[in-house]
Amino acid sequence: MTSINDTTLTFRKMLPRFVKATTFAIAVSALAVAQSSAAPRTEPQPQVQLPEVHLDAIGLSPRPIEELTGTTIARHYALAWHDLALGFESDQADGLDEEFVGFARDRLMQRIDEQKQTGVHVRILDHGHHLRAVFYSMDGTAMQLADHVQLEIQTFDGNKLVDTQNSPHDYIVLMTPGADRWYVRDLQEVSAKPF
Amino acid sequence: MKNTPRCYFTLCKRVIGLALCFVLPGWASGAELHVPATVEAGRTVSIPVPGSGQATFYLVGPDVVVKRGVNLGSDLQIQSSDIRTAGFYRVIVCDSSSACSSATFEVKAAQPAHLSFFLHPSRVPVSFPDSIDATAFVFDQYYNLVLTPAAVDFRITPASGASFSRQVPTRNGVAWMRMGSTPHEGAVEVTAVSGKVEEARVIQQVAAEACEVRMKAVTSGKTVTLETDPVRDCSGNAVPDGTVVSFTKIDRAGKSTVDTPIKKDVARAQFSVEGPARVSVACGVVLGNEVDVNGKL
Repeated sequence: MTSINDTTLTFRKMLPRFVKATTFAIAVSALAVAQSSAAPRTEPQPQVQLPEVHLDAIGLSPRPIEELTGTTIARHYALAWHDLALGFESDQADGLDEEFVGFARDRLMQRIDEQKQTGVHVRILDHGHHLRAVFYSMDGTAMQLADHVQLEIQTFDGNKLVDTQNSPHDYIVLMTPGADRWYVRDLQEVSAKPF
Repeated sequence: MKNTPRCYFTLCKRVIGLALCFVLPGWASGAELHVPATVEAGRTVSIPVPGSGQATFYLVGPDVVVKRGVNLGSDLQIQSSDIRTAGFYRVIVCDSSSACSSATFEVKAAQPAHLSFFLHPSRVPVSFPDSIDATAFVFDQYYNLVLTPAAVDFRITPASGASFSRQVPTRNGVAWMRMGSTPHEGAVEVTAVSGKVEEARVIQQVAAEACEVRMKAVTSGKTVTLETDPVRDCSGNAVPDGTVVSFTKIDRAGKSTVDTPIKKDVARAQFSVEGPARVSVACGVVLGNEVDVNGKL
C-alpha cells in the first residue's frame, strides 16, 4: 500500500512536468503548422506568421550593412521561407515570385512541379533561422549569408507520412536588391561548417 | 475519483499515445540504407537496397522529386540528371508493409564552369585610390556555387601601360578585390579567370579634376576675349568636353561671371569691359591665373 502511495506521489510530481513539456512541444509544432498552412499571400498581410530570423552582420565586409537594409533582409528572408514552406505543402508555386528570383526561383518552381506530378508533398516546421551576413559587395548589389536553421521536414505521399526529419540545416544564401525588397537569388544547402 | 492513480494512468496513456503519434512515423523503418556521404553534381549514384520484394523509392532534392517502384535486393540507380543541383537529397524506400527507411546524401558542386563577374563602377577618374571593385562568383556547369576554395585571377589590361594581375582565393564561392584606377584615361579591361573559365568586363577611365587652369586675354576695344590653355588633370589627361570653366570679371560696372563648357580641350568667353578690369578663371575647385585688362584695376 505504501508502495502504491509512493508511486502515486511520484506520478503526481512527474505528470505536470511531462504534460507541460509535451504541451510546449505541441504548441511549437502547431504554431509551425499554422505558419506553413497560411493562406496564399497576394498582398502583405499583417496576420501572416513568419519564421523567426535573427540576422548577425558583425564584421561584414567589404561593405558594412545599413540598419534599414538589415531589417529588410531579415523580413524578406522570413517571407521567403514562409512562401517556400507554403509552396512545398500546398504544391502551389504562385507565391514564390514574391521573394525568389533567378536560380532559386527556377529550382523551387521545378521542385513544386515535380511534387505535383508524383503526389509527394512536404511540410516544413520551421524553428527559426540564425542568419549571418558573410559578404556584402561594395556596390551593394549582392549579399551572401549563411543560415543555420532547425527544421522538421515531413514528407507525405498523398496523405501518408513516409518520412520525418528533425535536424539542423545550413544554407548559403545569395540575396540581391530589387525595387522595393531583397530577393533570394540562390539558396544552397551545405554541410555545417564555421563560415 | 478525480485524483486516483487510475485517472493519472489513463491521462498518462493518452499523453504517451499522443506523443507516439508524432514520433512513430519517423521510427517506422525497414532495412538500413547505405548512401554515399557526398556526390559530385551530375554523377550517377548507385545505392544497394537490401531485402526482397517490391518497394517504393522516393528521392527528394532541392529541385527534384522522384517516385518509382523498385525491387529490393538490387541496386537503386539515381540518374545523373536527377542530382545536378547542389544540396542535400533525401532517399526514402518504403516496402510493401509500409515500413520506410531513409537516408540523406549531399551533392556538391562540380568543377568551376561559369563566372558571374561584376565590375564597378563603369566609369572612374584616373589615379583614384580604391575606386574599382571586382567581384566574381564561381559556379559549376549546373550553376551551383562552387564552395570549394578556388583561385580567381583578376587580369587588368589598361589602354596604355603594362598589364598586371591579382590572384584572390574564393571564400564561399566568392572572390573580390579592390584597386585604384591607373594614371591614363581610356578603356581598362579586367578579366576574371578561374581554371579554364574567364569573363571580361571593361571599365572606362576618364580624366580626373583639372590640375591647373591658365588663360590668356585678347582685348579689342571694349571687348576682351578669353581662352584657356588645354585643360588637363594632374596625369596629363585632357579634362572631358563639357566640364564647366568659370570666368569672373571685376570692373567699374561690378562683378560678373560666365560659366562655359570646355570644347576641344579649351574654354572660351567674351566680356565687355568698362575701363580697367581684372579677370580670373576657375575649373571646379582649381583656381587659375588672373589677368588685368586696360591697366591695373
